[in-house]
Amino acid sequence: MSESTRNRLFDYTQAFADPVATAVTIALAAVLILVPCIFVVLSRLGKITDPMRGELWRRYFAWLVLIPLLLVPILLGAAWTILGFGALSVFCYREYARAVGLFREKVLSLLIVIGILLITFAVFDHWYNFFHALPPLIVATLIAAAILQDEPKGYIQRVALSVLGVALFGVGMGHIGYMANDVDYRPRVILFLLAVEANDVFAFLAGKTLGKRKLCPNTSPNKTIAGAVGALVLTTLLVAGIGKYVYHGTELDSWPLLALLGVLLSLAGQLGDLALSSIKRDLGVKDMGVLIPGHGGLLDRFDSILLAAPVYFHYVGYFVGFGLTSTPRILTGG
Amino acid sequence: MEPWQLEPAHDHGLSMSQRTRSLQRESGLVSTALHWTCWTIIRSYLGLYHRLSIVGRENLPPEPPYILVANHTSHLDALVLAAPLPARLRDRVFPIAAGDVFFETPMISAFSAFFLNALPMWRKKCGPHALQELRDRLLSDPCVYVLFPEGSRSRDGQMMAFKKGLGMLVAGSPAPVVPCHLDGCFDALPADRKWPRPRRIRVTIGKPLSFANEPNDREGWERLMQAVEVAVRGLQTNKIV
Repeated sequence: MSESTRNRLFDYTQAFADPVATAVTIALAAVLILVPCIFVVLSRLGKITDPMRGELWRRYFAWLVLIPLLLVPILLGAAWTILGFGALSVFCYREYARAVGLFREKVLSLLIVIGILLITFAVFDHWYNFFHALPPLIVATLIAAAILQDEPKGYIQRVALSVLGVALFGVGMGHIGYMANDVDYRPRVILFLLAVEANDVFAFLAGKTLGKRKLCPNTSPNKTIAGAVGALVLTTLLVAGIGKYVYHGTELDSWPLLALLGVLLSLAGQLGDLALSSIKRDLGVKDMGVLIPGHGGLLDRFDSILLAAPVYFHYVGYFVGFGLTSTPRILTGG
Repeated sequence: MEPWQLEPAHDHGLSMSQRTRSLQRESGLVSTALHWTCWTIIRSYLGLYHRLSIVGRENLPPEPPYILVANHTSHLDALVLAAPLPARLRDRVFPIAAGDVFFETPMISAFSAFFLNALPMWRKKCGPHALQELRDRLLSDPCVYVLFPEGSRSRDGQMMAFKKGLGMLVAGSPAPVVPCHLDGCFDALPADRKWPRPRRIRVTIGKPLSFANEPNDREGWERLMQAVEVAVRGLQTNKIV
């Protein structure tokens, strides 16, 4: 393993070498300190009712855990970023499998988990061809393996749910980890996560303050057109503003290209959210799990990154590329 | 195309500690792996340390649902009684365990659920609702229950009278009851000992009894319980040498 690879993977002294990573960390810390103060002031003034206050605190405490949980591995090194998102994919798949009933198909479920672990391995290894060969191979394996029980009843359903699982958690989340193969991965991954999560918050706030007309009431009754448009505008501004620093001096360093990235991220984020809402509506469950108080399951929080990750990855990949200067195949060689 | 058959886990929306105590608990990959590991260790232990012998394995019904019942003298009993079952049923065998012992704290519940695959029966507050849930699950899963109708361990090794809970569980149900007798468990690990002694253990499996036509009422339970008790006593043989 070369010196530069080891630095990328494990050198935590580089955590704050990039000004964007430092600025975002400080800003998030400030938000986490300020928000409870605002809560206290608002409830002293009687602006927040009791049930609302409980809900807000629950959500705040969840963020208080989630933000460090996401940010610390990214700052510590690429190894922890990749392993962290690999673990997140497995846990999200587990939630999905239990909600749709796929967990009862033990063989298929095991194959999907192995598939996600292999994708994580390919990402860690920085083996781009294997990373892109895996999804079709996993899908082919699932289609074949589902025959083995010799039970054609429900075959299409078993296979379809498995393939959807691979698409969402193997492919979707795999792309976030892969970004960590870039020497300069910290600001890029942070920009992605910040944009997508902020997009959710913007949609929520814009919807609460301006929202009247429903966006798609059958899928998600609380979403409004104003929320969607508000998020689109604010996320585009955020991505263009921070992106100007992150991609300074690259081909992406232009306002129209960065604005387009913002638009794409906002749309993909909201569509990922709605895709998970559709799954929940179809199943008739309110939340995908119970892990995060105030939010539901992991998937209720991380639904919006599922579709946005490949979009961001390939858009940035097209103009700038990921990991072009870092050593490939660090474990397998070749 | 077949109508959609897959549905959310029956324990969906429960927290981890609620799940361990739930009668609707369903195993995922991790629990299945734990059950396999645990079962393999227990089988090897019983075979090596207690020279476990099984008589009448051919009497086991080919497929679930059914209920295995036996005399109860030791904490080893549930492990011994589940041992003759085929490996493919590992995830579908549920020892019915006393809630106030095996599901007392979250830690113990997690152990009972994830290693033993036990389901709780609350001895003091076991309402008809919980029994109905157990009854339904036995048929709909379908699965195997391992149950001790005496209700608790005998302190002197002698069999005690059976309780009617078993009747409430199977009267009028198509699931057969398989009477079994355990020899040697009391010698190996009586209630007052902490660690088991290396004593031989034998399981004798009797012919399945069906109570599909027994009415699900007080009289039916009484008759059923007596029939099972007689069947279990009938399997009692001389001490193992």
